[in-house]
Amino acid sequence: MDGATVTGVPGGEVLLALVDAALGRDPDVLVQARAAVRASLGLTALIDATAVIGAFDGITRIADATGIPLEPAKAEQTADFFAALEIGRFRAQKV
Amino acid sequence: MMREDLATAQTQAWQRVAAPGTWWTGAERVAIAAETRHARDCYFCAARAVALSPLAMAGAHERLESSLTDVAVEAIHRIRTDPGRLGETWFRRLCAAGLSEEAYIELVAVVAVVTAVDTFRHAAGLEPLPLPAPTEGAPTQDRPRNAHPGLCWVATLAPEDVTPDDPDLYREHPGPRERYGANIQRALSLVPRSMMHWWDLLEAMYQSSREMRDFTHEYRAVTHPQIELLAARVAALNRCEY
Repeated sequence: MDGATVTGVPGGEVLLALVDAALGRDPDVLVQARAAVRASLGLTALIDATAVIGAFDGITRIADATGIPLEPAKAEQTADFFAALEIGRFRAQKV
Repeated sequence: MMREDLATAQTQAWQRVAAPGTWWTGAERVAIAAETRHARDCYFCAARAVALSPLAMAGAHERLESSLTDVAVEAIHRIRTDPGRLGETWFRRLCAAGLSEEAYIELVAVVAVVTAVDTFRHAAGLEPLPLPAPTEGAPTQDRPRNAHPGLCWVATLAPEDVTPDDPDLYREHPGPRERYGANIQRALSLVPRSMMHWWDLLEAMYQSSREMRDFTHEYRAVTHPQIELLAARVAALNRCEY
């Protein structure tokens, strides 16, 4: 995934960079990413954005650690970008 | 600039980590939390994360000294450091080695809480919370009598199967039900208090089901599309299919 991808979401690029930095290992990059979000969206938005990042860093582990399946309706609704993003490749790596 | 409900939820989550659970004591739960943090520095985990087949690698974790079994440590480390490649074969091996599905689910919940809070605070530039001091008391060992296998690797309690003996894990009282019972909400339901522990925190960090679906109002300083963009990116980096 390219951090420079156009998202169509206001502030999308700096938010994506924040996620990458938060889950990465370079503290300097995280400092810069945090500053960019704060400058673009404000401090409160930075806090709420990082809370979402934390929440999903947790919940993805619950999903993966329990093998919970995606509901058929959701799978149907998301089939197009599931295929476009090749999300199914993750499944092949599970043992 | 942290919302009061978010600060409160963190404090509550941390206190709950330290309290006796359903299958683990408070001391054991704090040990799980400590090991969750420590896993990120484990050399064996780092090597296995880049191996083609995680189950084929032999070795031992760099673990903390505690009463946790090696099986529990394997579960903690793997969930923390390589969640996207967890599979049922691995889970069944844990069970065969003596980790009950109930204890496993409670362990998963503690790992998730610690991961969520630590990642949030790290991303926000806040100091990590010190691990809480465990509180005394025995685990309750309550298993919902209507929990059934079939949905995922472990038994789950569907909303329609909840009895008066179970806690109000789907928030149906006084009604209407606030936690609709999506699969991801059922994932921890074999241990209702762990499910509630997690979802109380998650809803403060993310949104409740109702807030998530209400596109007429923004409940956070980031918008619905921004929130979902963040969530999707985290999920993709963690290789989470759900």
